[in-house]
Amino acid sequence: MAAGPGDRNSGPAASVRFFCTAGRGLEPFLMREVRVRLQAKQVEYVSGKVFFTTCSDLNMLKKLKSAERLFLLIKKQFPFNVSSVNKGKICNEMQRLINDDPESWLNTISIWKNLLELDAKKKRLSQRDANLLKRKMGENDTVITKKLKAEQMQKTQENREYQLEKQAEEETLAQGNFLTSREKLQLEECQNEAAEAAGTPSQNDLTFRVSCRCSGAVAKTFSAQEVGRIIGIALMKQFGWKADLRDPDVEIFIHLNDIYSVVGIPVFRAPLASRAYIRTAGLRSTVAWAMASVAEIKAGALVLDPMCGLGTILLEAAKEWPDAHYVGADVSDAQLRGARDNLKAAGLEDKIALLQVSVVELPLPSESVDVIISDIPFGKKFKLGKDIKSILREMERWESGAQKDELSQDHTATTTQQSSHRRTVQ
Amino acid sequence: MKLLTHNFLSSHVKGVGPRGFPLRLQASEVRIMPVEFNPDFVARMIPKVEWAALVEAANTLSLGEVPTEPIQGYEQNEDFLRTMHHILLEVEVMEGTLQCPESGRVFPITRGIPNMLLSDEQTEA
Repeated sequence: MAAGPGDRNSGPAASVRFFCTAGRGLEPFLMREVRVRLQAKQVEYVSGKVFFTTCSDLNMLKKLKSAERLFLLIKKQFPFNVSSVNKGKICNEMQRLINDDPESWLNTISIWKNLLELDAKKKRLSQRDANLLKRKMGENDTVITKKLKAEQMQKTQENREYQLEKQAEEETLAQGNFLTSREKLQLEECQNEAAEAAGTPSQNDLTFRVSCRCSGAVAKTFSAQEVGRIIGIALMKQFGWKADLRDPDVEIFIHLNDIYSVVGIPVFRAPLASRAYIRTAGLRSTVAWAMASVAEIKAGALVLDPMCGLGTILLEAAKEWPDAHYVGADVSDAQLRGARDNLKAAGLEDKIALLQVSVVELPLPSESVDVIISDIPFGKKFKLGKDIKSILREMERWESGAQKDELSQDHTATTTQQSSHRRTVQ
Repeated sequence: MKLLTHNFLSSHVKGVGPRGFPLRLQASEVRIMPVEFNPDFVARMIPKVEWAALVEAANTLSLGEVPTEPIQGYEQNEDFLRTMHHILLEVEVMEGTLQCPESGRVFPITRGIPNMLLSDEQTEA
């Protein structure tokens, strides 16, 4: 993996605390990855999440391969004590997440804004070079498009205000039995202020949505929706932000379970795990990358996936370790077609060769292959016609001896984990 | 299918011994696809190349002058590496056949992918 320092354009960046969600079993890979790729410090993990501090910019963060999603950390604290059944009391504690320490919320929001602005600035800089060329042809065109844009902006602004009013109504209706009459009044006041403020652009002109996940003891007393509402109202009261369920500026992510209470802001709209360069995913991309990283692919290696399917493992490997020759083999027409599409979409056709052939009859001389990685199909979705032992024996024959770790019993255990990963998607 | 890939293949037809290697290449459609030159990568591939097979395949495709063996100090010789880069990585056989020299069995290459299934078993997954 290439470890990258900051960009030439960014000044001395401050250290920021993030966390990532990770599939079960991938946490060690992620911890190693943030240390190597981002020079991260204070790396710790708690079942399904890895917390770390780094001053890397968005471009480097985007490169994380073993994480599901990336978040800016607002708060991490001990789980809520749900032993007392007093719902109102716990409700207060939840509100205190915000009210006890509004600074850390505002702080994180401004960090988030900075990160996005810096990224947008870089994009604009690189776009500017492209535009300098375009300018030579037709300045009139730019003027016209600007006018159209201004009109569009106005329209979206109007739509938003309409949406908010509707939502405010819906919210108040749903919360009937939850709020005291005093709180209801406060809420209305808050909304009125917000509506007035909508005309003038201000710092607090932020729309948000709360995404909540509850498990463990907390989930028995509160539904995720309820928690979302409690937090949402508290945010509106504290900061004057407006709720927008459809297209908010900021998403607030809160996860409550028996081990921790964590609040964060997702950094990217799409999860890191969904790769821009993979058209059709087979095996989960994070797992595929992790497998490839275990293989220790050295420059000049011949890497084989004898049951490559859509080629996910080879794609992840070739993207990260481009100095090797990759070969994928499969018996299925459909899978190979999908693989070819994937290779094309990713621009990796030069690095990965495809063969239509059976794994028990691979046309490879003995000891010709350096690395073999595969997600061996078993179980209900894909069936393996032949005996797995004979396949493993064949694989050993081709291997040049150095790398056997992919096919040990441990690896088969890892592949078991992978099929369960398909279900535990975050 | 690139010549680098072809070079790694051997015949797997049942009953064919070590002489099953290499597979005889015939091409009806060849494409030249520019590939970014990575001298380090090419240099690492050179020791793995089966030269007789490569020369035979390159000649079938009428690629012109093909080195018959690595020259002394090839790692630093950019001209040599560029030539090998072109032959190994930039020539794509899109349509053609691979033939086992022993059994005579022929395998088609379609849209760049060789189909070497021995039995007619093929799973639609």
